[in-house]
Amino acid sequence: MSEYTSEYLQEKLQKEFNPLHVEVADLTDGCGGKFSVVIVSDKFEGKPLLAQHRMVNDCLAEELKTIHAITIKTMKPAQWEKQKAK
Amino acid sequence: MALQDVQDSAEFDKILANSSSVLTVVHFHAPWAIQCSQMNEVMEELAKENSHVKFYKLEAENLPEVSHKYEISAVPTFLLFKNQKVVDRLDGANAPNLTKKVQHHANVITPTVTVVAKEQDTKQDINTRLKNIINGAPCIMFMKGSPKEPRCGFSRQMVELLNGQGAKYSHFDILTDNDVRQGLKVYSNWPTYPQLYVNGELVGGLDIVKELAASGELASELPTDDDLNKRLQSLVSSARSDGIYERKS
Repeated sequence: MSEYTSEYLQEKLQKEFNPLHVEVADLTDGCGGKFSVVIVSDKFEGKPLLAQHRMVNDCLAEELKTIHAITIKTMKPAQWEKQKAK
Repeated sequence: MALQDVQDSAEFDKILANSSSVLTVVHFHAPWAIQCSQMNEVMEELAKENSHVKFYKLEAENLPEVSHKYEISAVPTFLLFKNQKVVDRLDGANAPNLTKKVQHHANVITPTVTVVAKEQDTKQDINTRLKNIINGAPCIMFMKGSPKEPRCGFSRQMVELLNGQGAKYSHFDILTDNDVRQGLKVYSNWPTYPQLYVNGELVGGLDIVKELAASGELASELPTDDDLNKRLQSLVSSARSDGIYERKS
């Protein structure tokens, strides 16, 4: 199990991506093994999906060594606006 | 790659040596046997369908040393090679069986590369191994377990997604090979499994594949199980008699 909390990961992503929105959820109720990440940033503009996920993976590279599973959803600001409108 | 002719035994050795873990199908034929020419047509079709498999025909009577080595006593006979070893054999003009065998072996990525490498005492670089595995099939999923028995929820979801798209894919169970499991993370710069590769390129993990499926983009990325069987049918029915011609002495 990992010692990371969703708050810690969220803060790290916040610094790296300066996101419009970032949301990290611990899917294991605090034991830190499984997380889901939703992140909206203009840094994803013009990048393919694979590259966007890589950016998140790279940012959390150290943490991912011990985190068992992570679900990532990256969005550009326009996609985020669209989703919110739904 | 289309069906190619093997002219002499030196060329044959070279082909086997160069094909490493790629499935190589060799038809020992005779030009006077009508079953053989029918099976050559079947092989042409299979070659179109299985771009990652190599197909060769070899005139059995012209290369007696090769025919002798592999105990070819009748034509047509088919040998399937991987890593310079015979992995399967078919005697007789049985097109449905040949198709089945080719598809079976093309879809099984055997970790025998390590074994062979160890046997030959040549230390194969992990990246070369990974490259061989990734390019061993047009579409390959690195997963935990197998499509029939996925050993992780994410792998299971990816299997269900691909099956739902009618995708034709191979798999590699990373739980059976720790070198690949650790090495691929670095090679592909991707920290988690499953990982999906198409034509040697990483498509992504489950989240990406899910998103591509939802937006309808996935279908165009994947090789599909199309109507190969339908197209083969005319050839199959004409070659179904399982005929074997004894070798002229």
